[in-house]
Amino acid sequence: MQVVFDALSLGSLYALGALGIALIFGVMRLVNFAHGDVIAFCVFALLWPSVDAVAIVFAGNLPWFLLIPFTLAVGAGLSVLSEALVFRRFRRANPATMMIASFALGFVIRYFLLMLFSSRPKSISLLPGLSQPVEILGARIPLLQVITILVTLAVLVGLTAFLRRTRFGLEMRAAAENFTMARMLGVRANRVIMGAFALSGALAGAIALILGSQTGTANIMMGASVMLMAFIATVIGGMGSLAGAVIAGFALGAVATVMQVVLPPDARAFRDAFVYGAVILVLIFRPQGLLAARGTKERV
Amino acid sequence: MSLLALSNVSVRYGRLTAVRGVSFTLAEGEVLFVTGPNGAGKSSLLRAIAGVTPPAGGRIDFADHDITGRAPEDIARLGFSMVPEGREVFGSLTIEENLLVGTGMHASTRGWRARAASELEAVYATFPVLKERRHSQAGLLSGGQQQMLVIGRALMTTPRLVAIDEPSLGLAPNVTDQVYERLIALRAERRLTLLIVEQSSTRAMMVGGRMMLMRGGEIVLDGDARALGQSEAMHAAYFGYGEH
Amino acid sequence: MARASILRRTIATPLILSALLLGFALIAWASGSRPFNQTVIDIFLQVILVVGLYTFIGNSGVISFGHIAFACLGGYVAAWTTIKPMMKGIAMPGLPDWLMQMEIPYWAAALAGGAFAAFWALVFGAVLMRLSGIAASIATFAMLAMVNAIYSNWSSVTAATSSVVGIPIVRSIWPYLIAAILAVFVAWAFSVSRFGLALRAAREEPTAAAASGVNIPRVRLIAFVISGAIMGAGGALYAHSIGIVTPDTFYLGLTFTTLSMLVVGGMGSLSGAVLGVLILSSLIQVLRWLEAGVQVGTGTFALPGGVQEIALGAVMILILMFRPAGIMGNSELTGRRARAEKPGEPGHA
Repeated sequence: MQVVFDALSLGSLYALGALGIALIFGVMRLVNFAHGDVIAFCVFALLWPSVDAVAIVFAGNLPWFLLIPFTLAVGAGLSVLSEALVFRRFRRANPATMMIASFALGFVIRYFLLMLFSSRPKSISLLPGLSQPVEILGARIPLLQVITILVTLAVLVGLTAFLRRTRFGLEMRAAAENFTMARMLGVRANRVIMGAFALSGALAGAIALILGSQTGTANIMMGASVMLMAFIATVIGGMGSLAGAVIAGFALGAVATVMQVVLPPDARAFRDAFVYGAVILVLIFRPQGLLAARGTKERV
Repeated sequence: MSLLALSNVSVRYGRLTAVRGVSFTLAEGEVLFVTGPNGAGKSSLLRAIAGVTPPAGGRIDFADHDITGRAPEDIARLGFSMVPEGREVFGSLTIEENLLVGTGMHASTRGWRARAASELEAVYATFPVLKERRHSQAGLLSGGQQQMLVIGRALMTTPRLVAIDEPSLGLAPNVTDQVYERLIALRAERRLTLLIVEQSSTRAMMVGGRMMLMRGGEIVLDGDARALGQSEAMHAAYFGYGEH
Repeated sequence: MARASILRRTIATPLILSALLLGFALIAWASGSRPFNQTVIDIFLQVILVVGLYTFIGNSGVISFGHIAFACLGGYVAAWTTIKPMMKGIAMPGLPDWLMQMEIPYWAAALAGGAFAAFWALVFGAVLMRLSGIAASIATFAMLAMVNAIYSNWSSVTAATSSVVGIPIVRSIWPYLIAAILAVFVAWAFSVSRFGLALRAAREEPTAAAASGVNIPRVRLIAFVISGAIMGAGGALYAHSIGIVTPDTFYLGLTFTTLSMLVVGGMGSLSGAVLGVLILSSLIQVLRWLEAGVQVGTGTFALPGGVQEIALGAVMILILMFRPAGIMGNSELTGRRARAEKPGEPGHA
């Protein structure tokens, strides 16, 4: 039971991350390497700049009903800002150029945080009420895990409803499939791309909250590993397919958790290495991803 | 009063010039066929008007606005609706969703549903087959049905001018007949202006209207479709005898 | 015939670049200043790594985020083969006996590092080179993360995340100069070889090249292995320049710096790779100096830490925006003005 919850909550993180990356890839073929740093930025936005080891919690002391919207807004804001300042100028660039630009932007964000907070990890306590365990079907599960899973499900349901039922969601799906055609039907390019960035940034904010309360630390590198897994999930899910990204995210979480249990103790430290290796193998046999989306072939 | 006016428009891709110095005007309600051999610059001309490939030189006016270099969505919002070559349906969206994509631009969010519903009924009345399959994925339709879908999708934007790139491409002749039948009927109903690109002039001669012949990025002939189609000049120009 | 003429036409490039590097070395030697010496050594190491990166990226057009993994492999080979056996026994008790007893000179360690990295490049490449475009780039990133994850956790042979100390430090600039010049010549020789030309042709026109019988994955693999070897040797020398290795020495930070140097110089140009290093290294040096603090009047003016990377990132983004093909575009320094001044590829922006 514990394993199932571990797998689901880890998978939730990866799925949310993958979704944030797939959303942007879908509308502008950008592999956003800065996503992980947006996550880290959201965590640090809750702190007051200082280089001390103990974090001076600032916005993090807000009650939860303000804290959550605040973090999501920070993520969305930073993400939209990066679009307006940087990625907008790369609309006509090839995907490789955009990818390197996002890599550079990620570094700028990361070292901006380093400048204000130093590279030392800080301990923080976010939403401390969530660390107590609850009993589910005879297993003691941290409340936070349960909430993580529920929040992810809520986000997924909400996002699906948004994409299926609203005009803006429809425009976004159309743009993700064929951007030029959507524009010829009057869909505003800037609005759709901004929207995708805002959603993606808000998702990064959600990950930041979960990660921050789970680990109890703020570290400028904290987004990097989630981001890498999220990337891998988007690739396996078939670049740009939102459903594929989510499914692949959960699958990766499951694989990682199962490996943690199944691998001999000596090899457990190499869990991530095994996961990466497995991913490379998957890519060999299905370069388009396991669940390749129709009509979203890479524009060469 | 002309709806569309091009003056001295040229289009370049890198060093390659696809359209050189094209000028013409199109009046409201007119039907214009642009014909010419492969590589004559017909599609490039349409893409330039639609704003997909901004022209390298010249000026384009549509509905009393200078649209040279404007974004495709702005041009669409003025009432220019494009059906590009190869149809380009949104394969993963349902038929109804495909039709709805273009309806967002004139309505406020609140008025959108009601307005879209009435437009949908109109398109379904024209193409009943779309209504039958409205909840299936557009990628699963046959070529002819896809062609109807994209024409329907273009109409959903309540355009003043519909530009269609090779509506007969890849369609069986009888399906092409159907598509044209609908187009002609629509034009009468809605006072639509049509700008149709076709490789051959046969269709233009059947339908009638105005015809232009492009070759090497330039307009070489312009006149009544039926008269031109039968003339010697047409054949000479199409195949390029006696030129250069 | 054609071969000889290609060689003659292009040999000027590596010669000019070598002369440039030699110039730097002579200045450092003449100045006799220790810190400056170290700076020049750093520059030569970056040249090796960036030229290694160029050998793959420049010829294949596939962006790799994973090449620093090969430098990591090479760096640890240096640690395994040159640290005194007694110290190895304490830090890395899991090494096999023959390796534990080994104590070879630094240049042999560099060669061994190159060979070890080339071997793993062959293994990884055999799998990765079947991918292309974005999938390939992300897979190389996964490779980097994988190597980092292994080296950060395999405590018995890599001492996990703690520093491995005791690698003999080589302070003379000449070995690094020679290695950098060698790297430049190897990269040049590859890019004018039959394989290099085929690969560049494939980069421009993948379909045409495939149709003309070029086996793209195989030629890419050759480039991958050669560049892996250069990176491995560079990593080993890197270890010898500072005397310490940790897995994070060879991770995202170094990936970022080397990639930005290549991008700024021009991904498609060997001269660009070298010039990118020289230009950005100078910039980094100035920023480091400012971060350390400068006397202005009575007070000191110091930039906060991190400005260096931020500036680097900003330069990289601006170059990508306004000159996506980098300073050199696809052209090389040949000593003939007409070609050297040929503008880069028309921008995408």
